[in-house]
Amino acid sequence: MSDHGHDEHASHGATYFAVFLALCGLTAMSVAADVVHMTPILLGAVVLAVATAKALCVMMFFMHLKFERAWKYLLLAPTIILALALPLSLRPDIGETYYVPDVPQMRDYPEHQARQAQSGGGHH
Amino acid sequence: MTHAATAPTLKMGIPIPNAKLGMWLFLGTEIMFFTAFIGTYIVMRMGSQGWPTDTHVTHINIALGGTNTFVLILSSYFVVVAHDALLGQHFAKAWRFLMYTTLLGFLFLGIKAVEYTGKFEHDILPGHIPENNRQAMDKVVNQFGVIMDRQLATAFPSQSKREEQKAELDSKIKDLTEKSGRTSQEDSELKKYTTLSKLNSEYVSLKEHVRSDYSLEVPYDRFDEIRKEANSASNYAPVTLDEVNKKVDDLTKDRDYAPLIAGLSPAHPILYGNLFASNYFLMTGFHAIHVIVGLFMFGLVLMKGSRLCIDDAILVENLGLYWHFVDLVWIFLFPLLYII
Repeated sequence: MSDHGHDEHASHGATYFAVFLALCGLTAMSVAADVVHMTPILLGAVVLAVATAKALCVMMFFMHLKFERAWKYLLLAPTIILALALPLSLRPDIGETYYVPDVPQMRDYPEHQARQAQSGGGHH
Repeated sequence: MTHAATAPTLKMGIPIPNAKLGMWLFLGTEIMFFTAFIGTYIVMRMGSQGWPTDTHVTHINIALGGTNTFVLILSSYFVVVAHDALLGQHFAKAWRFLMYTTLLGFLFLGIKAVEYTGKFEHDILPGHIPENNRQAMDKVVNQFGVIMDRQLATAFPSQSKREEQKAELDSKIKDLTEKSGRTSQEDSELKKYTTLSKLNSEYVSLKEHVRSDYSLEVPYDRFDEIRKEANSASNYAPVTLDEVNKKVDDLTKDRDYAPLIAGLSPAHPILYGNLFASNYFLMTGFHAIHVIVGLFMFGLVLMKGSRLCIDDAILVENLGLYWHFVDLVWIFLFPLLYII
């Protein structure tokens, strides 16, 4: 990517390619995490951490947020707070209860679990 | 007017082009839109003990999902290369890389279509999935009923009610049986109608067993007397899903019945399968719509062909921002739907 004759624009080609490679590597990591057996909670933590790292790579370099001025915080902070409102408000009612929900689906749950344990399937 | 062009323009607010500010505000609403889906999915998943995770059950294909992740990342990379080339005034190169991006977008949709086809084939669709044994048995009966209706309607297109079709079937069999000196064509017709009639009896028997909750070992012709007994429900074993599925297996293996009941299959309950399918289709569906919109916009830029110039840099940058956001959403959907 030669830049002579266009001095006003310094190419970011090398940076972009490095970010691309990093993204590919991170994707391979999340697939590898699925292949390696680990507890569901650890698996969740690992793949979500990897996803967040990928998201930051894309936002900072591909979306140029690293090079933008302070307006990015002004715009993104309220958005993210509002975005979290719905999941956070649902969490106490649906995501985190001390009881097992009394719904018809659960009627055969013990049998369902026994069957899964028997077949040896149902990993993660 | 000439002095106005040279005077420094007074610009209030954020020091970026209005179009870019507009795109970022739009992306802000998009963040809220997708976080609502992704966040509620996480909450529902945490709150549902026994969520389906076995890929043999959900027919989630990690290889296809992983390939699609790579496809989107590569297309995102090509957009920044295109934008970079545009700023460096390499317009042909910019156009080429925008073209690659578009092709990768189509590839993404193609792979998605393959995945969706698999879901449709296995009936992993919202509202189609039995979640406990009772629902699975009801689903088998329902499937069987639909097939039976279709067969009877094909055999007797002039009748619209099931009772009338059944009556006509019986009278046909009676006529043909009583007829002496049947031609070979009439013989095969009689065989066809007899098979259909027997299959219908199998269906009615299975339906009544499931509805009345009696084991298939209880003969159907005794149902009338059984119903008159006191505490009849507790005197006989209830019907089980294994029995029903075995019956379906036997019927589909029968050489006479098999061609008539193509599509009838045993049902297995998937706990929270419908919630899973709703979430899967809602999130991947809205994501796919975003990909389609992006492809449409790339198409508009590509149509400029050799007229692509430095003035398009802001347009391509904004389009890139949108495309990266679509990539970003997939970066989260992939681990959440395919891996966890």
